[in-house]
Amino acid sequence: MSNLLACLLLAMAPDAAAIVKRADRAVLGETTTYTVRMTVQRPGKRDRVVEMRGFKKGDEQGLVRYTTPPKERGTAYLRSGENTWLYLPSAAKVVRVGAKQNFGGGDFSNGDIFRLSLIKDYDPTLLGEEAMSGEACFKLELRAKNRSVAYDRVLYWVRTDGSFFPVRAEYYTISGKRLKWLSLGEVGKLGGRLRPTVLAMENALEAGAKTELRFLAIEDEAKLDDRLFTPSALEKGE
Amino acid sequence: MRRALLGVGLLALAWAPAAAGQPEIELGFENLLYRTARTRLNRDNLLGLDPSEDLLRGGLGVKQTWGSARLVAKGYLERRIGSQDRTEATLRQAYLQYSFGDGLTLRAGKQRIAWGSGFAWNPTNRLEPAKNPLNTGLEQAGSWAVRMDVVPASWVGLILVAARDQAAAADLPLETQGRVRRIGAARARFLVWNTDLALVLSGGAGGRSLVGLDLGRSLGGSVSVHLEGATYRGAELVPARADRRFFRLAAGLLYLRGESQSLSLEYFWNSEGYDGQAMAAYRRNLDDTYAAAQDPRLPPPARQAALDAYRVAAALPFSGGLGLRRHYLHGSWTRSSRDSRWTGAARAVVGLADGGLAFTPGLGFAPRGDLTLQLDALVLLGPQDSEFRLAPIRSGLQTRIRLLF
Repeated sequence: MSNLLACLLLAMAPDAAAIVKRADRAVLGETTTYTVRMTVQRPGKRDRVVEMRGFKKGDEQGLVRYTTPPKERGTAYLRSGENTWLYLPSAAKVVRVGAKQNFGGGDFSNGDIFRLSLIKDYDPTLLGEEAMSGEACFKLELRAKNRSVAYDRVLYWVRTDGSFFPVRAEYYTISGKRLKWLSLGEVGKLGGRLRPTVLAMENALEAGAKTELRFLAIEDEAKLDDRLFTPSALEKGE
Repeated sequence: MRRALLGVGLLALAWAPAAAGQPEIELGFENLLYRTARTRLNRDNLLGLDPSEDLLRGGLGVKQTWGSARLVAKGYLERRIGSQDRTEATLRQAYLQYSFGDGLTLRAGKQRIAWGSGFAWNPTNRLEPAKNPLNTGLEQAGSWAVRMDVVPASWVGLILVAARDQAAAADLPLETQGRVRRIGAARARFLVWNTDLALVLSGGAGGRSLVGLDLGRSLGGSVSVHLEGATYRGAELVPARADRRFFRLAAGLLYLRGESQSLSLEYFWNSEGYDGQAMAAYRRNLDDTYAAAQDPRLPPPARQAALDAYRVAAALPFSGGLGLRRHYLHGSWTRSSRDSRWTGAARAVVGLADGGLAFTPGLGFAPRGDLTLQLDALVLLGPQDSEFRLAPIRSGLQTRIRLLF
């Protein structure tokens, strides 16, 4: 009977793609500007704290500029489609970099930062419902559509209460090894609506290693010109 | 040109809106300490260098924004201690920039142009002084220029520049006099099939007209590659060889692991560089002019002319910043501690033709987010007759401290 009920509830639930689409926009909107503080924690080391101003347009274009500390001020990353560039203010130079590397010396990859959307890169399957971090959640499995994305498989927990706030994501390699896991929490009102405001990525390769992104300000539906997401704009600075 | 640009800047500042951003201020201290040597380029210490030459600098930098306008000024006061006890001020940058939305930006004043994907060499860039040939990590001064950036669409960008500069290497204990160049240049950048492609045209007084091509692409993972090349007629090194076409090419790769580790390699080919025969002729010319300058049988004006010719030839390796030979390799490695407080670095330029090596290991320390200390050593190694060993410098120690507000 209980199995039948579970099947019935699953059948009534939104389909997996719709859940992931809603979850993709839970933190940041389609076109957004934001201010975020990144804290990189390493066991036995002093925390590294960096504040950034970010611009995002769709899933393909993103720009992040470091604003503090002063020694890192002006450093900027630009992502446009499959391309990533880094601006080094000390050399006044734009350098093209690989896309898969980690971002800012922390546990997020460039892809994690610039492509918070999962639906474009992964095929989702709804596995069922499961409580996670005290919340009733849909549990989804996401399989990479192609080998160019950072992770082969993602397990994803999204709240069932209609908010579609993601709660946790676990990232796996092609060999099935868990690489990292992301916790999303501290739901609060930012930019006129409720959303998770803190994202914490932990690394399976190093116990105690953690990188936290704390959003300080968000403005959804910002008007951003495509020309903002070009190496020319990166070089021009803010 | 300088006065006109400064005038425009001051006028614009007077009209700047009151809603100014927080100014960014930088205080700096630099000490470039060199141990000098008597080499073929400094016979009997003709350059008059002390065994130890010290360049002591106090620097100030200011960046201020007012909406779409920005003012940047950076410079230093230098006290030379050694053969010349003198103090002089140098501007590294002093420009005013105004952006008309995302599509058009104007910048006027002394500024870095810094175009080209090459790390140590930029064959398409004739607009600013070349990098210091012995330590490519040092901060460069800019050129006096007016620059316009036009971005009509996200896949294309155009830069037009009119610049004036003196192509001499800075930060050395010896006087270097490069040619004064007045150059106009255009660079069109495209993003095609996930590849950066740029076409460059430049020409003017004091430099060769060139056509350049610049390509950059990510290979996936953490590696990106670049290729920057230029062709022009007539050599920049003596002899001029006016009817011949020459090529310069810088090709390299960058491996970047977050911001904690980087490794770059770059090969530079300069087709007008000296082969073994031309290098031998260059050394003979040094010997002959020096001998003539010392010859008591010659009248004093002839000896003086020979001495002047010797000095010009001796300064040649430092007048263009590109090196005298045809083939070079540049390697750079940096690694930061996990909390970003410590950074180790090693840079090396190898002359593939003669085995000479300019090696620059360095250590950086940032005890706070607003304070950085950088210590670089400079060692010139290789066969006695190699290009780097001809330099009248045996070694150096470069200390830089920056306090940022």
